[in-house]
Amino acid sequence: MSALTITARDADTGPVLEITGDLDYETAPELRKAVDGLTVAAGQLLVLDLAHLDFCDSSGISALLSARSLAIERGGHIALAAVPANTARILRIVGLDQVFALHQDAATATTRSSAAH
Amino acid sequence: MMCRIDQSEPEPGGKQDADATDAVFTSLLEDSAEELYEQAPCGYLSTLMDGTIAKINTTLLDWLGLARSEVVGRMRFTDLLTVGGKLYHETHFAPLLQMKGEISGIALDIKAAGGRMPALVTSKVKTSEDGEPLLIRTTVFDARDRRAYEAELLRGRRAAEEARRQSEADRVRLQEALAVLQQSLLPAELPVVPGLEAGSYYHTASPDLLGGDFYDLFPLDTGRWAFFLGDVCGKGPQAAAVTSLARYTLRAAALHDADPVTVLTTLNTVLHERYASGDGRYCTAIFGILHPADDGHVDLHLASGGHPSALIQRADGSAGYLPTPGGLLIGVLPRAPFTAARTRLLPGDTLLLYTDGLTEARTGPDRALYGEDALRAFTATQPPTGPKDLITALSGLLTSFGNGLDDDTALLALGVPAPSPTPASADLT
Repeated sequence: MSALTITARDADTGPVLEITGDLDYETAPELRKAVDGLTVAAGQLLVLDLAHLDFCDSSGISALLSARSLAIERGGHIALAAVPANTARILRIVGLDQVFALHQDAATATTRSSAAH
Repeated sequence: MMCRIDQSEPEPGGKQDADATDAVFTSLLEDSAEELYEQAPCGYLSTLMDGTIAKINTTLLDWLGLARSEVVGRMRFTDLLTVGGKLYHETHFAPLLQMKGEISGIALDIKAAGGRMPALVTSKVKTSEDGEPLLIRTTVFDARDRRAYEAELLRGRRAAEEARRQSEADRVRLQEALAVLQQSLLPAELPVVPGLEAGSYYHTASPDLLGGDFYDLFPLDTGRWAFFLGDVCGKGPQAAAVTSLARYTLRAAALHDADPVTVLTTLNTVLHERYASGDGRYCTAIFGILHPADDGHVDLHLASGGHPSALIQRADGSAGYLPTPGGLLIGVLPRAPFTAARTRLLPGDTLLLYTDGLTEARTGPDRALYGEDALRAFTATQPPTGPKDLITALSGLLTSFGNGLDDDTALLALGVPAPSPTPASADLT
């Protein structure tokens, strides 16, 4: 098990959160807090970069959905980048691959026009 | 001896500074040695080798509340000690002193004016030039503060132990309460369904956290039965509240219109509206209807919202999934797609519903995912002898996962009993 680290940066498309470590029952509130503290302007894209996500359980999935709700509430969109294979498999089982825009990596997510979403 | 600054040392400050320092020392040391002895911040006494007190200072006399004339030549050192102190002196202090010639820092209680007074006692035997013991010199330090400190430490330790006992008792009570709540989220026992056999199992991963898995089996109209099994995202009391909401919503919705997609849609609407503001709450579920037909088979119609596919163990020993792809986690979108599937259960067939604690378990030294393929293979190796046997086999499998199973896991198996075996085949089982 590893702790959760969230690093925020700005891309042309909007904020990018790099999520490192475990997203689970214990750490899920940290993602919620991090997204709460972000400025997502209308039309902007919030990218969650999961390249270094080690583990994600159902509490973590809920936290991803909370991030989605917040982005949409503010008139923005959300995309997941570099989703690890195991998490991608779970997202498919629960049908969330239809709900989240998925990108190969953060660079791809942030070079696309947010109008595409 | 007076302590003096060595005047021969050249000093940058000159002679005037040295004189001033000298004056300070003189004023400090104006007490005579006798004054120092009598008024020292500790007790002094000297005794003959038999313990008779020959000399005692004022500090100690004040502590004892005795006059010098009452003590000198009339009392022994042990007369100043409490009964406990005397005993300790007799058994430890005196023998050690005789053996080593000195002993230091021994805790003894003396009979002070105000009652028992803890003291730290140090004694040293004075010998003549030819080594003959002459007398014993003793210092007595007031240890009341130290004893109070020790008592405080002891009291603190007792309080900590009591708090630990209390918290342990609280933890046990909380676990009992949680176990009762957990049970309230599941049917006490599955109903008896004519022409069907049913089995279930619930594995609790943590006694401290309510799990979010749920299932139920209940009658509808005209001989039909409804069942569901689901898994709420997250755990703890918030998840348990959703579990309760989901369970009762599914039952009520089924009584209104039992079409599986309609029932899941109702639950989706309820969860989405209930948790629209703030953090959402989501669950996966399979809901289905069993309709026993006259010829002995059962028509099965189910739908899934983001839940792992149901598995069917066939009477011929094969096992296969009943896929329901594309069904969405319930509660995420205001209008969500759910996927239905239909099949027939023939005598000897068993339908298995499970939560992903089973398929997401980690096995072996490399903690590999157990997975759907392994579950299907395991089920195919089990004799098709009905839901109860399959549940028994799977609960054994879950136990074998050990700490690779770290999530709550619910199992529900429903099947049509095979025709009674002939006596010959019964012998084989």
